[in-house]
Amino acid sequence: MKILFSLFISIMVLGSVNAQDVVVKNRFVNHTEFGGLFGRVKYSSGSQQNTVESRTSLTLQTFNGIQVSRKLGAGIILGADWYKSALINPVAAGIRYDLSGRPNARFFVIADAGYGFTWLHQDSDGYKTKGGWMVNPGIGLRIGNVSTSSFTLSLTYKRQEVSAEKPLLWNQIERDEERVYNRIAARIGISF
Amino acid sequence: MKTKLLPLIIVVFSFGLFSCNDQCKETRVTRRLTPFTRSLAEIRSSVKAESKRELIRPGKIYTKGNYLFINEIKEGIHVIDNSDPSNPKFISFINIPGNGDIAVRNNILYADSYSDLVSLDITDPANAKEVGRVQNVFQFGQFDGVGWSLMGQNSSTGMISIQDFTVDFVTETVTTSCEENVSPMLSSWLDSGFLSSASFNSAGSASSAQPNGQAGSMARFALYDKFLYTVQQNRLHLFNISNPAQPTDFTTVNTNFSIETIFPYQNKLFLGTTTGMIIFDNSDPAAPTQISVFQHGRACDPVVVHNDIAYVTLRTGTACQGIQNQLDLVDVSNPSNPKLIKTYQMENPHGLSIDFPTLYLCEGDKGLKVFDVTDKMEIDKHMISHFQDIDAYDVISLGKTLMLIGKDGFYQFDVTDPRNIRELSKIPVNKAIP
Repeated sequence: MKILFSLFISIMVLGSVNAQDVVVKNRFVNHTEFGGLFGRVKYSSGSQQNTVESRTSLTLQTFNGIQVSRKLGAGIILGADWYKSALINPVAAGIRYDLSGRPNARFFVIADAGYGFTWLHQDSDGYKTKGGWMVNPGIGLRIGNVSTSSFTLSLTYKRQEVSAEKPLLWNQIERDEERVYNRIAARIGISF
Repeated sequence: MKTKLLPLIIVVFSFGLFSCNDQCKETRVTRRLTPFTRSLAEIRSSVKAESKRELIRPGKIYTKGNYLFINEIKEGIHVIDNSDPSNPKFISFINIPGNGDIAVRNNILYADSYSDLVSLDITDPANAKEVGRVQNVFQFGQFDGVGWSLMGQNSSTGMISIQDFTVDFVTETVTTSCEENVSPMLSSWLDSGFLSSASFNSAGSASSAQPNGQAGSMARFALYDKFLYTVQQNRLHLFNISNPAQPTDFTTVNTNFSIETIFPYQNKLFLGTTTGMIIFDNSDPAAPTQISVFQHGRACDPVVVHNDIAYVTLRTGTACQGIQNQLDLVDVSNPSNPKLIKTYQMENPHGLSIDFPTLYLCEGDKGLKVFDVTDKMEIDKHMISHFQDIDAYDVISLGKTLMLIGKDGFYQFDVTDPRNIRELSKIPVNKAIP
């Protein structure tokens, strides 16, 4: 009995750095955000070389997971990114790692990677859009206490690959497009 | 901490805003056409029976009695003894430059040869002989979307020639705006060019009139009464074949459409065009008159008819452009007022054949689909089978057997039980076509 008690104590000591860890560890965490994906595109069309246009798209996502340690949360991200000609639903694995800072305002690191699906996308006639890989690393600012709800601001780089088959023009026998959306994502959200 | 990070974030953000460009690359494979000229004298002198060859680039199929004719696009016709469908035998090859279409009545085979209509005596199928020719009746034509045209007098030689094109394929990559804003109609200005003029297909009379053979739905030649009907560009061209060996140019009927296929049904002619289906009254076979037009979007569209229902397939393709891939059922019981019954989405439908209640539908490289069409409102729910690993261009259903041609070869199936289709034989193509 004494041995078991000692073992329990040692696990408690080894497994948690301090008393606060016991509270936060393995707690369910949710981080839901919305914002915009900002970027631009430079393309050539016929004799018109290097046309540049700005692009803004809506992004929504929700992170659900557990607090692995006091600083690290890991979970699954489900989202919707509404590009001009593709509605992509990324499903990704992600982490949220808190950097040290003031108790009520801390920076945290965001790293998500996964695959964007086209479940909700609708193609125009003749087009066939397929999803692709997605990465989304960046940094965020958490305002509020760690153990309660907090308000977040985040800035990330988002890369989403998409491919599409396009309707054939005159004399073409094949026409495909590989798209890489390179965007800065600015989001606001809540975390609890 | 915050004060250290903030400038870093601003730098990263600014850099990100500067460098975040969507990158979209479109890869397209385009056909490049190089013109060349062939003299008509050379073309005309080379029509003759030769020893058998392998299939290289098969086109349309035509069957008459125990014989089977497979067009080798622009080269001629393979003659095949098909008395045993599980073991078809090549007999000979009829060299006919510029050939795309076939029709057979009794022992006379009609074929196009660029600008000419040629009649051949096939009493001895191994040794076909040219017996008649109508010269310079077709001005333009097209094979696989590549056109040819009849050139005028060549001043130096005093001879007429054919301008044709060789085809090669060019791959190019361009940057795009990542948007679907390029209309496939952008290039439709090319439509007016002769390149897109309709090709000749020999349309087959699908009726089982004894003296005539049977063609697939992609055909552009049709035999009816004492006439051979050919469709070419916007014209229905009639040849009088009362003397079967010596066809004569009879008349042409103009339409406002680019005609692609012809299907005779009862005393009507159903013409598939790039923009709709035209119904002609053919009760006077010498003077078909247009009754009505069933319009659809721009697409290639073979048509077959059974029991007052027309089965029209629309597909996208180089020769036809268009963005629809579908099967339309059209009620033609009142031919002056065809009505759409229902539209079914398909993948890339080409030729089709009906042996009611079974519909065989070619889906190009997506294979062959077999439907039970008893319930015309729910055809899509009654797909009997789907052969995915074959390329299917056109089919002819002969009741118990089914003939199918595609880029990878010619197939015959036993379809006595449509739910249990067995392959009887396959004649492979000896090389793949891009």
